Amino acid sequence: MSKIYGGHLAAKYLKEVEHVDMVFTLSGGHIENILDGLTEYKIKTIDVRHEQVAAMMAHAWSVYTNKPGVCLVTAGPGFTNALTGIVNAHLENVPLVVLCGRHPLRDDLKGALQEMNQIDMVKPVTKWCATCYETKRIPEYLSIAFRQATMGRPGPVFLELPPDILFEEVDEKTVVIPKRRTHKTVTQPGKNELEEAARLINQAKKPIFLGGSGVGMSGCGDILEKFIEKTGVPISLVNYGRGVLSDNHPLSVNGGGFTGLNAGLPVVDVIIAAGVRFNWLLQCGQLFPDAKVIRIDIDPHEIDRNRHADVGLAGDVGQVLGQLLPLVEKRDHSPWLKSFKNAYSAFMTSELEKRKTPSDPIHPIRLVEQIMTVFGDDAFYVADGGDTSYYGLSGFASKHQGGVQTPAGGLLGCLGTGIPFALAAKLAHPDKPVIVLQGDGSFGFNGMEFDTAIRHNIPIICIINNDCAWGMIKHSQEVSLGANRLTCSELGMRHYEKVVEGLGGYGELVTIDAEIIPAIKRAVASGKPACINVMTDPTVTSPATVFFYQSFSEL
Amino acid sequence: MRLSILLFALYQLVWISSKTNRAFKKFISKAKVRFLIKTEDGKYARLFVFDQGRVSTATGPDHAFDAALVWKDPKIAFSVMLKKNQVAVFNAAAEGKLKIEGMSVFALWFDKATSHIL
Repeated sequence: MSKIYGGHLAAKYLKEVEHVDMVFTLSGGHIENILDGLTEYKIKTIDVRHEQVAAMMAHAWSVYTNKPGVCLVTAGPGFTNALTGIVNAHLENVPLVVLCGRHPLRDDLKGALQEMNQIDMVKPVTKWCATCYETKRIPEYLSIAFRQATMGRPGPVFLELPPDILFEEVDEKTVVIPKRRTHKTVTQPGKNELEEAARLINQAKKPIFLGGSGVGMSGCGDILEKFIEKTGVPISLVNYGRGVLSDNHPLSVNGGGFTGLNAGLPVVDVIIAAGVRFNWLLQCGQLFPDAKVIRIDIDPHEIDRNRHADVGLAGDVGQVLGQLLPLVEKRDHSPWLKSFKNAYSAFMTSELEKRKTPSDPIHPIRLVEQIMTVFGDDAFYVADGGDTSYYGLSGFASKHQGGVQTPAGGLLGCLGTGIPFALAAKLAHPDKPVIVLQGDGSFGFNGMEFDTAIRHNIPIICIINNDCAWGMIKHSQEVSLGANRLTCSELGMRHYEKVVEGLGGYGELVTIDAEIIPAIKRAVASGKPACINVMTDPTVTSPATVFFYQSFSEL
Repeated sequence: MRLSILLFALYQLVWISSKTNRAFKKFISKAKVRFLIKTEDGKYARLFVFDQGRVSTATGPDHAFDAALVWKDPKIAFSVMLKKNQVAVFNAAAEGKLKIEGMSVFALWFDKATSHIL
């Protein structure tokens, strides 16, 4: 009779059925047996220094690989630490699978170590959550968790595994291992809607394709390219859709970033909005009052949210585009594309000049330009911070899916996501450079994860845009409160590069423009996880700050 | 000449509205914005200063600003600004007749502010 521990059974299912090859975790007593199971079944573990990073890395893993990310955290504080990452995944509809320890079932209501009601706390921020009470049913529960995370609109799931069942041995023959799901449920729009969408696209004079995370999660690069090249529609890809078609594709208007969209969207006549939500970042759809809107979304409830859709197409973006492709005509919108690019370039006159001009003190957009000079578009970029996210989003370009990410600019506005995302990007794409442009404020959240980078030899390059402040807040306070009443927004000069050196990485301080590129090259040559601490102009305010402040000033 | 008059009239409207128009007063009540409208040669230029509810102005092209609309020539500036139409502004920018110096987000702010009074 072959016996297997519950923790090993969980690992066996992860490996053999879901083909999970990496789990992000931080060790704990309650989950010891499952950790041992991961070793037994040769699943690589990346152990971090704070559980929120385990959740954020697993989240990012799903973005960079299009597979569900798995994190494993222990009970109590392990769980509460992970919550921020879970909420972030919830708001971004990411298929994150969270496996969590729990106090023993036998000790319920006795005042056990780390006894708390985790399920009620996590329920509002997950797509599905449950506690497994029986060792033999662990694979069944895991199967449900993966189905819930990945099918339909994705989202995070949470499975609580008490030590009573993880440490228990059962006869392996008595366990039923569910088969991996093979079907893909397809929601399709009606024929009439498809024809109406095609009619609008065929008649459009100033159209734009605006694609979001639904494009990235659909993995529809080939069909998207065919659709765009046939219709000639200029394209902007944001969030996890960024890079599904290269930022340098001739029809891409991503070079204009936030400013480009603000310049162009008010005058477009047809918007094909695919897998993108009309939330506050897109002014809830009010930025293009006169445009006809075609919305493609895997969740039908999203289609009329905040802005009535002239045509709503419910379904996976790639599948819907595949259905539209034979209905749309071959068109050439190059005069419109040229106008779009000219207009946003005229709106960005000063920013474009600053990119090309050496500056003292260093302007953040000049820093981004110098980074791009070294790595080009064959790299993965992450930006983390307030103003820093704006500059990264605006100045970086990549030809890779997920190649430019500003996770802190998502709905949760979750600063500190930069280093976890960069680590996951490097693990997913070890042969490509991964650069994180990091605000000095947001470095403080997860800077300790350079220890993780060093222990696991994940050579990311972190470049700190150091303005010695929580810049976005500071500049807002300068307007609202006055420069003499700044409160809790200044940080001062800190040698973050020495923190990284102390942990065993490469560190360098840069204070002048001419030293940016040589310092980056030395960091690359070191082969180590690196931190280049670049002192930038503390007086610079980004358009994002103005936009952010305005949204409150009207209250 | 016509552009100078238009810019002066616009300022007058802004000033009066800052005293009388409730929606406009609320919109500008927290803003600190210096917005310049000028021609490329600097012959026509007016600065609009918003300082937490107070407004003031200055003529001439050499003022510090958060954003500046820089027009190729006064005729185009006059005709486009009179239209008060985003498509006309976009087309002027696309055709190289207008550029924005500084941060364009302040130009959007100015456009939104004046939408309360025009």
